[in-house]
Amino acid sequence: MSEPEEIRIPRFDAYERVMHWMAALSFGYATLTGLAIWSPKLYWMGTMLGGGFHIRGTHPWSGVVFAVMIGVMFRRWAAGMGLDADDRVWLTRLHKYATHDHGALPPSGRFNAGQKMLFWSQVATTLALFATGVVLWFPESMPRPLRLASIALHPLAAIGSITSILVHIYMGTAAVPQSMRAMLRGYVVPEWARFHHPKWYRAWRASHRS
Amino acid sequence: MTNGWTDVSNADVVLVMGGNPAENHPVGFRFVMEAKRLRKAKIVCVDPRFTRTAAVSDLYVPIRSGTDIAFLGGLIHYALSENKYQRKYVEQHTNASFLIAEGFGFSEGHFSGWQDGKYDKSTWQYELDGQGYAKVDPTLEHPRCVFQLMKKHYSRYTPEVVANICGCTAEEFLKAAAMITLAAAENKSGTVLYALGWTHHSFAVQLIHAAAMVQLLMGNIGMPGGGVNAQRGHANIQGSTDMGAWNYLPGYLKLPRANQTALVDYLKANTPKPLRPNSLNYWGNTPKFMTSLLKAYYGPNATAANSYGYDWLPKIAEGADHSWGTFFDEMDAGKMEGLISFGMNPVANGPNTPKMIRGLSKLKWLIVAENFETETAAFWRAKELADKEYPHSLKAEDIQTEVFLLPAACFAEKDGSFVNSSRWLQWKQVAVDPPGEARRDQEIIADLFLAIRALYEKEGGKGAEPLLRMQWNYARPHAPTLREVAREVNGVDLATGKQLNGFGELQADGTTACGNWIYSGSWPEAGNQMARRGQVDPTGLGLYPEWAWSWPANRRILYNRASTDEQGKPWDATRAPLRWNGQRWAGDTPDYKADAKPDSLAAFVMLPEGVARLFAPDLVEGPFPEHYEPAESPVENALHPNANANPLLRVYRSDLDSLGSAKDFPFVAITYRLTEHFHYWTKHTSSSAELQSNFFVEVPEELASEKGIASGTLVRVSSARGELEGPALVTKRLRTLKVSGRKVYQIGLPIHWGFVGKVHGPLINKLTPSAYDPNCGTPEYKGFLVNLEKIG
Amino acid sequence: MTVAKLIDTTLCIGCKACEVACQEWNDQEYTLGTFGGTYQTMPDLAHNFWNLIKFNEMERDGGTSWLMSKYQCMHCAEAGCLAACPAPGAIVARPNGTIDFVQDNCIGCGYCITGCPFDVPRLSPTTKKVYKCSLCSDRTAVGLEPACIKTCPTNCLTFGERDELVRIAEARSTELKADGFADAGVYNPQGVGGTNVLYVLKHASEPEQYGLPKDPQIPLSVSLWKGPMKWLGTLMFWGTILGTFVHFVIYGPQDPAKHGHPEKEDEPSERA
Repeated sequence: MSEPEEIRIPRFDAYERVMHWMAALSFGYATLTGLAIWSPKLYWMGTMLGGGFHIRGTHPWSGVVFAVMIGVMFRRWAAGMGLDADDRVWLTRLHKYATHDHGALPPSGRFNAGQKMLFWSQVATTLALFATGVVLWFPESMPRPLRLASIALHPLAAIGSITSILVHIYMGTAAVPQSMRAMLRGYVVPEWARFHHPKWYRAWRASHRS
Repeated sequence: MTNGWTDVSNADVVLVMGGNPAENHPVGFRFVMEAKRLRKAKIVCVDPRFTRTAAVSDLYVPIRSGTDIAFLGGLIHYALSENKYQRKYVEQHTNASFLIAEGFGFSEGHFSGWQDGKYDKSTWQYELDGQGYAKVDPTLEHPRCVFQLMKKHYSRYTPEVVANICGCTAEEFLKAAAMITLAAAENKSGTVLYALGWTHHSFAVQLIHAAAMVQLLMGNIGMPGGGVNAQRGHANIQGSTDMGAWNYLPGYLKLPRANQTALVDYLKANTPKPLRPNSLNYWGNTPKFMTSLLKAYYGPNATAANSYGYDWLPKIAEGADHSWGTFFDEMDAGKMEGLISFGMNPVANGPNTPKMIRGLSKLKWLIVAENFETETAAFWRAKELADKEYPHSLKAEDIQTEVFLLPAACFAEKDGSFVNSSRWLQWKQVAVDPPGEARRDQEIIADLFLAIRALYEKEGGKGAEPLLRMQWNYARPHAPTLREVAREVNGVDLATGKQLNGFGELQADGTTACGNWIYSGSWPEAGNQMARRGQVDPTGLGLYPEWAWSWPANRRILYNRASTDEQGKPWDATRAPLRWNGQRWAGDTPDYKADAKPDSLAAFVMLPEGVARLFAPDLVEGPFPEHYEPAESPVENALHPNANANPLLRVYRSDLDSLGSAKDFPFVAITYRLTEHFHYWTKHTSSSAELQSNFFVEVPEELASEKGIASGTLVRVSSARGELEGPALVTKRLRTLKVSGRKVYQIGLPIHWGFVGKVHGPLINKLTPSAYDPNCGTPEYKGFLVNLEKIG
Repeated sequence: MTVAKLIDTTLCIGCKACEVACQEWNDQEYTLGTFGGTYQTMPDLAHNFWNLIKFNEMERDGGTSWLMSKYQCMHCAEAGCLAACPAPGAIVARPNGTIDFVQDNCIGCGYCITGCPFDVPRLSPTTKKVYKCSLCSDRTAVGLEPACIKTCPTNCLTFGERDELVRIAEARSTELKADGFADAGVYNPQGVGGTNVLYVLKHASEPEQYGLPKDPQIPLSVSLWKGPMKWLGTLMFWGTILGTFVHFVIYGPQDPAKHGHPEKEDEPSERA
């Protein structure tokens, strides 16, 4: 007799997983190369990745890939990323979430309000990074005022973006066990779903029963 | 130049007119800037265009192209009527006091003696006394003295008349006149810098005469920082003139005429007699110069018995002229068989390009020795290379001229001397050997000479003797060195075999040989003086007597004796090129007998008068310069409508020689060089091609807005000879002029393009007229009429 | 010793000899110039054309005026390009004050182009690196003057010790004032700490007439980027990393078993 089969709730389909990891890889590359260009102290990272001249050529392309992936995500997820009434309450009780007082939180849907905020922050910073990045990419054909603005705005947006992604990485790895599996393998177990995304779980169960 | 580039820094006033040294002589212009910076010299620029020279001048006055004589005549009038001339200088050093024959006069645009389109010059002569000397009135009061005649002649040139002709305002003229005549003070000197802006007119020689008159009135000739200074346009153009161009033998000896069948006839016609008792009359030595030249040509074959080979010299028919316009006209008429063109590109630089091309296509052969394939070497491909430009040219297959393009070494691949504007003979070294099959000019000439002589020896023929008797004493006959040639040019004492020290040692008895008397002293026994690079400056005037060698006799300032008064007292003690020390003249090489007491001789030793000519009876269209309009002019001559252009204007009559009128061609065109290029040559070199890649037409702002033209708009410029196209460069620098009450626009046409080279563009000379100066045969490249249309 | 170049615009005749000298010495490839409706060789500097004479024609003081000025790297004491450059060793301030581009280290980002208040550096489309006047550092290093100085025929250009040249320039402008040019002065903009290329101008209060910026400065955004932004970023990154780590140490991972369950009653029945 075999173990009863584990119940798997599909969380991210293959399309979403590929999309996420392409975004992640390009983001990682853009971040490392961007940081190398950003600070002489981190220039060694550029050297590791092929040298300053090389990364100056590749960094914008990794940015393009990332921006495209963010676009793809937007198409896929934007509709579900609106904040409902629960989300708004959730956000006011962010500290409860941080201190694991989950009982004090309203139930979340497929994405909790924090994830939604991450989504929108990435959309916003990516727009900014892309716009300013294009300006910096072609310095000779862009008007100087735009270049001047971009020189400051591009790193500013990057700081915002990287910081939120750092939080995202923490949440997706150490802070919320099994979430990495959701993004790698695509499914979660009911217990996890019920705990983290009760409304989404209920919806799954309802549809599953019928 | 009477003076020299380095001497310009001694000037208090610099009149730049008919030249644009900042653009065309930028290196020499440093001395103008030195005068400005260190002496606070005033720079006055009078030019049809606001040039790069104008940009750094203290005063710019616009002028209609070809009206310079009116402007200078106005200056003469101003100086005389405002008493702003150096009276003592004029009395002592000019022919102001000379009396002119009865009957001399000027009316209705002609001097006395005008009849049937010719001048009888008998009334233009000095009144002579019984000994053949000119009569003078030192008080300058006699109504027939040059001074009074000059005063009368220029009384018509009031500031208003000048403004009306030139197109500037009377105020501008007066401002310029006041500045220029600052040099009238004894202790001030002013220089005149000119170039092709004066010589490219059908009254060019008179124009320069007018400038000389102004400078004489200011007491500026012979003075440091003074003089009349032609800025020569090619590295060695001064040398080519000195060595015999047009109808001259080397050293400005005239080419014999057909009626001078014997040497004595020639010498009689060309050896002047002194016109004053105290005149040294240096040209009285012509027999020495000529005999020594013949000895240099024919060596031992030249003997007293055969008049030193005088018969072997080619002679030109009396009254005949072999200047540019004439020989191309004859070529076009099929009267010439062949042409050898060394360092000359007639298709590009001759006026009326279609006529140049047609002329060449009527030759049997054409030899071009050049660094590049020039437009002349490629003339038979004009249609193929620039069909649109030359629709009237023959197709290559219809041209029978056999063209030989001989690759010639460029200047850096040859040694020899350059004679610069300052009359300095500067020896240079070979930098690199000629590439490929290119050969040095003297080697090409030697081969031609030896081959032709061998043919004559073998086959005989008419006129063989000049070649057979020619001395050809070079170590390697096929490749003479320029050192050998330079030593020959300097001259040698045939008795001792020693190099001559100067022309003072020349003899008329066949015991000396000298290839060019004015260069004698450039290579004495002491060695090559042209290679000297000494930088000592004993006078402190920047004359640098040990830098290279200056003709004549290493003299740096011509007529320097006139920098002192009759008694030898310098006009300006702080600036004396010469000082009489009681026994000798010290300083610059004196333009005088070195040990002659100051009052023993007159100052201008080269002239039979002993003094400078305000009145110049030897010029063909009048002893005083008079304003005539260019051959094509937008207005009537305001002074005498019945004598509009130069009465002796030289024009030709082929079907390609048409002149246009203001009705069809309302605008005045001027052609000129730009700093970035040298003639039609540097369009073959990358750096110059980069600096100025594109031909353009300069259009005055006001005309541009009338015609809806902006910078970059394609325009068509047409004249009675042809048309061309190019982008407009709309500029404020070409001012709208008001002439005889109407607006006159001037169009600027830089010259440097053509149909071969790294950059291409139209040849400007398609537009220029075949109208020439009657004295020297220079074409009128400036101040002709065109039309301007917008096409793009 | 700081060296400098003095450009006395009152003596410039726009002959472009300095342009050719620059091209020759730096072994530049020649390209054909673009016609821009002026006498200028090209409308602007290029990656292979570091020294341009600008021709500015205008009507002023009741007449035509044609101001010529030499346009090249100004070798600023506080160089905007250097401030903006992210690549260590690509832009070097030499001890003699020369701002030198070292193409071996250049990454071609073009930040220097933006950082330069004089708009001087140019990117090569082929090498993708940035180029400009080096003040002929390969000549000055062995005691020669820059090529442009060497060739100038009118003494418009002088090279030497900076303090000495400042004195000469001041003296020249005093001289010009005495000659009636009341507005004469020296262009040595303090916004960039002074430049090692000095100009004597007849109209010093209107440097724009010569194509020179009136008050050039290192751009604020470059300063922000190189200054506060670095601190902000460092703070944010390390703050986040440290913060999450501390969070983990204190709170550990979220655990459905331990941290209560908002929907316990809703146990799924499938497993039964």
